[in-house]
Amino acid sequence: MESLNSREGLFERIHWLIKLRWIAVTGVFLSVFIAVNVLKIPVPDIPLYAIALILGIYNLTSLVYVNRSRANFPALANRIANTQIAIDLFILASLVHFSGGIENPFIFYFIFHMIIASILLSRRASFLQATFAVILFSMMVALEYLGILPHYCLVGFVSSDLHNNAIHISGIAFVFVSTLYIAVYMATSISRRLREREASLKEANALLKQKDRIKSEYVLRVTHDIKEHLAAIQSCIEPVTGGIVGSLNEKQMNLLQRADERAGKLMFFVKALLEVTSIKLSKEIRMGHFDFSDMLKDAIHTIARKAGNKNIFLSSTVEPGIQKIRGAREYIQELISNLLANSVKYTPRNGKVDIDVIDKGNSILIQIKDTGIGIPGEELSKVFDEFYRASNAREIEKDGTGLGLSIAKQVVARHNGKIWVESVQGKGTTFFIMLPK
Amino acid sequence: MSNKSKILIIDDDPDISEAMKVVLESKQYQVATAKTGEQGLKKVKQEKPDLVILDVMMETQGKGFDVARAIKGDEDTKDTPILMLTAVKEKTGLDFKKEAGDDAWLPVDAYLDKPLKPEELISKVGLLLGKS
Repeated sequence: MESLNSREGLFERIHWLIKLRWIAVTGVFLSVFIAVNVLKIPVPDIPLYAIALILGIYNLTSLVYVNRSRANFPALANRIANTQIAIDLFILASLVHFSGGIENPFIFYFIFHMIIASILLSRRASFLQATFAVILFSMMVALEYLGILPHYCLVGFVSSDLHNNAIHISGIAFVFVSTLYIAVYMATSISRRLREREASLKEANALLKQKDRIKSEYVLRVTHDIKEHLAAIQSCIEPVTGGIVGSLNEKQMNLLQRADERAGKLMFFVKALLEVTSIKLSKEIRMGHFDFSDMLKDAIHTIARKAGNKNIFLSSTVEPGIQKIRGAREYIQELISNLLANSVKYTPRNGKVDIDVIDKGNSILIQIKDTGIGIPGEELSKVFDEFYRASNAREIEKDGTGLGLSIAKQVVARHNGKIWVESVQGKGTTFFIMLPK
Repeated sequence: MSNKSKILIIDDDPDISEAMKVVLESKQYQVATAKTGEQGLKKVKQEKPDLVILDVMMETQGKGFDVARAIKGDEDTKDTPILMLTAVKEKTGLDFKKEAGDDAWLPVDAYLDKPLKPEELISKVGLLLGKS
């Protein structure tokens, strides 16, 4: 089961433990301060503050150590968690000893350690930690009872002879021990079930991915075959419609041109489908460093004429911090020119398309904003789906593959980026793309 | 540019070969065709064409690449320009435009995507023959 825990997951959980410990350090300082200064309980504050300080130093050391040994996770993780929980138990026992021993209701804080252990460790290790806690607790109580260790009474909080009352001690100890073991039993049962569930979800997810891959491979093969035949059809028709093999009468020409046009549309669709499928299937795309502004200029160039024809004003700004970015230039350029082409297509005459590229430190944010027809709100979440076309887009242009945005999504995903869209119908649409530099 | 130039088309698709042949013959080129890489290489040696139009032939594991390397690797034929027909990007994710200049990887002089527009084919062929 442990093998399922990813390196990052374990690392995160140990960090969580460290975070909890900071809360504990603060808690100890505060409770000692309140007990001594507000409740006027005469606990020995110097050793208690000292232990809190040791806890703080120990936590800082853990933090540094865990960060340094990140590379050796997850092999080390169990040992780190086990050791840290054991040290925590010892420190808690010391704190309890200096603040009343068995009289101190904080003894039940041992339960928290049991729950933490149950989440981080195996069931066996959790029960061992519970046993370690029980031994620490029993030793403290016994040594205080026998007078080998001094006992610090919580004067004013409980009556002062409780630590010498064997019946009281046994009762508390029984409740304490059974509580710890029951807590471990319950918490490990829950976390075991969660782990099993996580494992089965992972398995189901892997299966789905595999099925999706098989589907994509099938689509790729079929589409490629269609394309081969289609290319031959077009190659044979075009010399005829081009008059290379002699002239046709008007009716012959008209029909043949219709056939050619339909073949062309089908070819466009097939190429888009091939593209989205092959990006999905390719294990990696080749990345390099390229000048972003340079690429943007080329992307804008490809649609400048179409925008000009509709008298659409194109403007672009790139923040100066953005120079070279890492990525597959051809893909990013195609992504941006496709989005720009969409904007121009769905923006009425005399509209505006703005491209703003904002420096976000480790990443860049590209905003492509138009004053177009917009996307109906209820359809926004679907526009990146394969073959989906917004209802108002279909009205404006009958033909369209519905693949452009899903190609965009694939390209962005391949760059570990994010793409999303905001739109107000009738006002305009803004596409946002976040790409790591 | 001499319109008596000899062009060899190596493509495993007989229909596309025929269509290209018709287009090129309309411009008075002499056109020969070959259906496989081996046949093509033989004809390159025998007929010494002025230009080779080579399909990438992905169906046989990119056989076209091997043929291109063989032509450019042979003393007798290394100066023959090659026009490669391909749609490599969609299959391999490679950026073909950049690779075209990379002699070690793919020694071709130009490339065209299928399907070919007749006028594109004519102008590209004219350009390559004018260059050599």
